[in-house]
Amino acid sequence: MLNLVHIKNDLRQILRDPVMGILLFAPVLLIGVFKVMVIFLIPFLNSELNFDFTPYYIYLLAGVLIVISGMLGIVTGFMMLDDKDGNIAELMSVTPLGRGGYLANRVSLASFLTFIYSALTIYVLNIVKVKVYSALLLSILCAVYAAIIGLLIFFGADDKVKGLTFAKGLNVLGIFAFSDLFALKWFSAISVIFPTYWITSVLKSQNAYLVLIIGTSVHLIWLLYLIYRFLSKK
Amino acid sequence: MRLLNAVWIDIRFQVKQGFYLVYVIITVMYLIILSFLPEKILETALPLVVFSDPSVLGLFFIGGIILLEKSQGVMQALIVTPLRTGEYILAKCISLSFVSLLAAFAITELSPVTGADRLLVALSVVLTSSLFTLSGIMINAGCNNVNQYMLKTIPYMLLFVLPCFSLLGFTGSYLYTAVPSVAALRLMLGAYNGIYWYEALGLTLYLLVMNYIFFKYAIRIFENKTIYRENA
Repeated sequence: MLNLVHIKNDLRQILRDPVMGILLFAPVLLIGVFKVMVIFLIPFLNSELNFDFTPYYIYLLAGVLIVISGMLGIVTGFMMLDDKDGNIAELMSVTPLGRGGYLANRVSLASFLTFIYSALTIYVLNIVKVKVYSALLLSILCAVYAAIIGLLIFFGADDKVKGLTFAKGLNVLGIFAFSDLFALKWFSAISVIFPTYWITSVLKSQNAYLVLIIGTSVHLIWLLYLIYRFLSKK
Repeated sequence: MRLLNAVWIDIRFQVKQGFYLVYVIITVMYLIILSFLPEKILETALPLVVFSDPSVLGLFFIGGIILLEKSQGVMQALIVTPLRTGEYILAKCISLSFVSLLAAFAITELSPVTGADRLLVALSVVLTSSLFTLSGIMINAGCNNVNQYMLKTIPYMLLFVLPCFSLLGFTGSYLYTAVPSVAALRLMLGAYNGIYWYEALGLTLYLLVMNYIFFKYAIRIFENKTIYRENA
């Protein structure tokens, strides 16, 4: 109940701030831009450069999902960095909400939105046939990934500029979603420990339950480790 | 001397903040991606990579840098120190362009592409980087946090990026070169794939003029909306 009240307050605060309100709709803009690219740019590449993009649609969809999740994760990370400046987390730890409640509120909002936007991306882009349960799982994985990015920025940065540097560096995680394209054994081997690799893998192997289980486990290990670090930090 | 000191301090700050380290990692990432592209696509992809990341890094970072300096009281110090606003802004442009230049050359020299005109690459990277840094300084006015800044950059980015599609070529598409980002991208593509000397000269001069106009506006906006508002 307490959490619901806080989520409601957070949402109200965000929607009152026009900038933050619009920011929530930025992913919609991004989905629109990629849809336009799919409609116009890909046929253009095909006709002008004789480059068939069809075999890479899975990677394109994975890339868009990762960009959107990352974007919302970065926003959460910077909200938490602002809170860090004002010692909000410490203040929350002495309220009934507690440090864990603060984290849940901050992260759950971004994760919930990522879940919605991920499902929207899969169905609006409509370039890969995704089964309903796979779409659901992918949306959950993306929601977890957004939380991971937010927490990584929170832990990795002491100030806004380091936060930006870290956010830039975290973009590199996206490359692991495409590691199969490079056909480098060592690179694929490293990629398996990163969540982004499993977003593509789940898309590619929608019927392979082992892939779904390992992919989910990798995401959860990252998330649980970061939550543990947050809660155990004095 | 004041300007040199300001540039040196900015570079040291950027090293401490991990700019150079993060660009080493990003450069490696781009090199891995570029090494797998067919030669035909690589000729276009390389200038696009250099244009879209190292050259615009100033826009990405300047918002956070100014917000951090604001919170550290640098704006108050700017009023009482001999360092002029123009020098402060110029130091930011030079130091960020330096990171851009290093990253751009690392990507270019280590990629399989040969025959790029190094002087033109350097010119186009510096002129683009400073243009985007100056835009960032103007966009940053009135922002209180990084999320606000990032959101404010979206419409400006669209204004800069969408006209770049005119390079695909259609009737009257050259007119879009009046948009500074299009001129910069045209010069960048020319630096890698060849360009007539008079076109390169024209684009360079145009970008220099645009940089000068942006610089003057950036000083005015920064003084009115960042320094004096902060100290009001």
